[in-house]
Amino acid sequence: MSGQEITLTLNGERRATPAHPGERLSAMLRERLDARDVKIGCDAGDCGACTVLVDGDPVCACLTPAHRADGRKIETVAGLLERDPLAQALEARFLKGGAAQCGICTPGMMVSATALLRQNADPTEDEIKDALGGVLCRCTGYRKILDAVHPGRDKGGDRQPDNIDPGGPGHVGEAIPRLDGRGKTRGSERFGDDVAPPGTLEIRIIRCPHDHAGFSIGDTGKFVEKTSGIVAVLTAADVPGDQDFGVIPGFRDQPVFARDTARFRGEAVAAVVGEAVCMAEFDPASFPVAWTPRPAVTDTDAATAPGAPVLHARHAGNLMCKGFVKTGDAEHALAVADIVAEGHFTSGFVEHAYIEPEAGYALPEGDGVTVHACTQAPVMDRESLAAILNLPESAVRIVPAGVGGGFGAKLDLSVQPYLALAALKTGKPVRMAYSRSESMQSTTKRHPSDIRLRIGARRDGTLSGMAFHGVFNSGAYASWGPTVANRVPVHASGPYRIGDYLAEARGIYTHGPPAGAFRGFGVPQAAIAQEALLDELAARLEIDPLEFRLKNVLENGVTTVCGQVFDQGVGIGACLRALRPAWQRERVAAANFNATASGHFRRGVGVASGWYGCGNTSLPNPSTIRCGITSKGEIVLHQGAADIGQGANTVIAQIFATALGVPVDRLRILGGDTAITPDAGKTSASRQTFVTGTAARLAGEALRAKLLARVNAARDARIDLTPEGIQIVDGSGRHSVALDPAAADDDGYVLTACETYDPPTEPLDENGQGAPYAQFGYAAHIAVIEVDTGLGTVRPLRMIAAHDVGRAINPLLIEGQVEGGIAQGLGMALMEEYLPGRTENLHDYLIPTIGDVPPIETLIIEEADAHGPYGAKGLGEHALIPTAPAILNAIRAATGLSLRRVPVTPSRLRAALKER
Amino acid sequence: MRYHRPTSIGDAVAIAQDASGTCRFLAGGTDVLVQLRADLVTPDDLIDIKHLPGMRDISRAGDGWRIGAAVTGAEMSENADLKREWPGVVEAMDLVGSTQIQGRATLTGNLCNASPAADSVPAMVAADATVTIAGPGGERTVPVAEIPVSPGRTSLQKGEVITAVNLPARAARSADAYLRFIPRTEMDIAVVGCGINLTLDGDTITHARASLGAVAPTVLLVDAIADALIGSTLGDAALDAAAAAASAACNPIDDKRGTIEFRTRVAGVLTKRAAKIAYERARGQS
Ligand code: FES
Ligand code: FES
Repeated sequence: MSGQEITLTLNGERRATPAHPGERLSAMLRERLDARDVKIGCDAGDCGACTVLVDGDPVCACLTPAHRADGRKIETVAGLLERDPLAQALEARFLKGGAAQCGICTPGMMVSATALLRQNADPTEDEIKDALGGVLCRCTGYRKILDAVHPGRDKGGDRQPDNIDPGGPGHVGEAIPRLDGRGKTRGSERFGDDVAPPGTLEIRIIRCPHDHAGFSIGDTGKFVEKTSGIVAVLTAADVPGDQDFGVIPGFRDQPVFARDTARFRGEAVAAVVGEAVCMAEFDPASFPVAWTPRPAVTDTDAATAPGAPVLHARHAGNLMCKGFVKTGDAEHALAVADIVAEGHFTSGFVEHAYIEPEAGYALPEGDGVTVHACTQAPVMDRESLAAILNLPESAVRIVPAGVGGGFGAKLDLSVQPYLALAALKTGKPVRMAYSRSESMQSTTKRHPSDIRLRIGARRDGTLSGMAFHGVFNSGAYASWGPTVANRVPVHASGPYRIGDYLAEARGIYTHGPPAGAFRGFGVPQAAIAQEALLDELAARLEIDPLEFRLKNVLENGVTTVCGQVFDQGVGIGACLRALRPAWQRERVAAANFNATASGHFRRGVGVASGWYGCGNTSLPNPSTIRCGITSKGEIVLHQGAADIGQGANTVIAQIFATALGVPVDRLRILGGDTAITPDAGKTSASRQTFVTGTAARLAGEALRAKLLARVNAARDARIDLTPEGIQIVDGSGRHSVALDPAAADDDGYVLTACETYDPPTEPLDENGQGAPYAQFGYAAHIAVIEVDTGLGTVRPLRMIAAHDVGRAINPLLIEGQVEGGIAQGLGMALMEEYLPGRTENLHDYLIPTIGDVPPIETLIIEEADAHGPYGAKGLGEHALIPTAPAILNAIRAATGLSLRRVPVTPSRLRAALKER
Repeated sequence: MRYHRPTSIGDAVAIAQDASGTCRFLAGGTDVLVQLRADLVTPDDLIDIKHLPGMRDISRAGDGWRIGAAVTGAEMSENADLKREWPGVVEAMDLVGSTQIQGRATLTGNLCNASPAADSVPAMVAADATVTIAGPGGERTVPVAEIPVSPGRTSLQKGEVITAVNLPARAARSADAYLRFIPRTEMDIAVVGCGINLTLDGDTITHARASLGAVAPTVLLVDAIADALIGSTLGDAALDAAAAAASAACNPIDDKRGTIEFRTRVAGVLTKRAAKIAYERARGQS
């Protein structure tokens, strides 16, 4: 492929470069002109992450032919921030207002917004939505972006001064901007595909195009020989250690490369490694492999039918595993209940749809390999890779790249084994980035669910018995399926008092993409069923739905369905009570609207609750935090909790700084590189603020004690970081702390501390009784929606979300989590369903755009928890759980229809309206 | 892959005619690049025509318009005269992709995609637009509706390329409108699209063209809708008849975006809503 030389002006500088035929402007900018601030999410014009200005107009660089840049003026976010005061002010508002989370969409947002503001200094909300409608964000829920774009609608004003320095010390409770925000607004944060230098070898995976197929690979030696630029092919035969990987002991069943049989569309069977220029033109169809399609079972009914093909010999009937919780006598309680509501609820695969496809870079180092990749679990990655490579863990180093959104799917291995194997086989640095469709085909999904539920109630409005039977489609491999099967029965009661309860969940293998972890581990699916039936019971009893819930909620001292009793920290009642004023107001407004509106429009208001246990279910999940003070008085925090956009880098630092007693901006923070930072566990199960946060608090307190002991200072002494060094001030005066360089350890620390925390839990017995979690977080949402009964569309008008977070470490980041979770819950309720082979891109798989997310009001409830740091609880998954049920209940209020399948697409709602 | 930058349409046609493998013309570029990455099409020859004379011009042709093949949606939106005379065509094109794509997407590209759901096509058909095609045998002009023959396939012959879209003269008291239905608010592909073009005498509709997209393998020109509207002042009876005619004309597929029944019904609802808009616009024209 030869290129014709073109010249262009990139961010004010004249540059010349060859442009290859068919090459994208985005690729040329990133690979030859150092503009890695241009991000790639889809290469198809669907996500807008690649937006740049061409002669001032915003365009998708991925859809602009490179040679079209000839003679043009190209501006990227980095250039805009250097020279355009509008962009600089916009950046300040983005940071201050928390408009960037993971940051992968942020350059595209900033570039598009700058173009708008240049033409229109005072855009309306609709004009902003129009300008940013083509830029997708999966983290923020867009509301903070809308606020940040408008110069006058900037809500951060009362929080922070303009220079974005934290106003105070940035301690617990302060809504400081995220500490790592600038890398995101400038596009300088290095995500998975930003680490590799240009021109390294690249990898492409050969994937199965069938749901189930046998296959045989031809002569790969000859293929390498005759295909110019290809240097190696990898197959199962090249895996020196464990052939299969997975996340749960006993369930490591997913092959790195399929052997003989591929069990889902998109499964890897081989990898091709070659020179970058050749890989750009590589045609996977040229790879020698022959497929023999076989009968496939793609849903749980088919997979459990007699005679169905068995995916894994050890699992007869395709039953992967079961979870079970039982207390009292559910059947008896249902039999004596005055009324019983029941339903059969179903949902499909849901795709995480983070804007950053999996990507990374690996190079041979010493006797082993170093892998840079986006991940939620660096230490788990190292363990798995060591097993696959048959190397000691010390020979595998994981350097986490920036993570452009994870939501659970980046807990599992994706690119890592291929990178490591290829680097070791070729002895050279290699890189790979999944295409959007590869990412969607091959990485984990939310489990499709098939739930049968009955709940009874007495006339006085108390619940009487609940029986839950859930079947979860785990796809071809286990991934986190066992966790889903265990978690669901523990949570399916919702945060309610139910003495007679039986819940069973089964995970079933099918020929589908592996279902794994996705914000909530099956609990959101169960909550849809449970909260819908509560509304139906309330309606039949003619009790206000919110008061009905309040009458039955868990409180301190009340036993959960697992027999656990919390004598403190149960905040669901407080959440629901906080919603009462909005509930009454919105219900009256909707009733007035419906009484007067003409035409097809009907409004409805719905409420739903949720709870979620923070940390692993009855299993150890320790976090360790290490810190040190150098002889120069520098305070270093080794922070290993993967920040996937949620804000661990900021929150953990705030907790540590508070415990130590220094301003947060004086910390030097090192990331999760497994060579230097101890294990803070995985970023999942809403555990980082709670578990790693507690470790950070303990480490901060320990370091403080050592520091004060140096000068025998009183416990309440103040630590002053002065240009002359660290000084301690107490009642007896000011003391300088001597930090002798000669006393420094190998890492240069004179003082260090390292603390581990593991939340106290107890195993569950055969009836699921025990203490599965040390703490739960609680939430309740109100959804206000409008239905166009002519078209079957549902338009959310407003959401009000009450969240018991125990203690708000950083209220700004909490709002960000809540808004982002709600956007995902809204997608799950109304538009998202992954269908293999049919929705493998971001224009057939719909996620909410900036036009779909309504205003969101967040009410922070602080019902302190005895275990959490400063009382804090986890939040990440809680944000999503009540959203879909609240929307469904609002649709019910508007139309009288109880819908049993999500997503409620216009076509499904229209069909239900017609049937009525 | 070879990249060509011919200096005339004649040369472009000659290159295309001689090409042995797959050949693509590049005007805007959006669809070609999507196909490249999706491994749907790997052209052997890419012929860039955007820079050729007239390709980027919106010009008067008699009382009508000639819109060059490389004119983008964004450029159409910026032309106030065009927008006033053909608001339906301009708004349909405006719905093709986001702001970031509007700078690249073209009417011609949207048409040559031959997607049944292409937004601009029903609007062009309702407008009675034609395209000018350059080819080995010289130039010819054909109605827009004759270009797509099935999903993904056009009637263009080897070596042929569309050089312009032509819109007819705008009569007095006439206007058009385009509406589509998509499941989310932005950036989506039409589940149903409807273009309506009306001419009035006083308040009575004397001439109508109506077109539906995404409800059949190719765009539909539905005379029955027009017949239901002509002679009326858009009362409820005419609207109901038009909606019924729209639903009756549908031959959609069942897919993840909408069932057959849903598309059929929505076609009726949109026909009514689009007719109302076109009617109000026509009444506002002198
Ligand atoms: S990468 Fe260009 S739009 Fe997604
Ligand atoms: S912050 Fe927008 S995608 Fe993560």
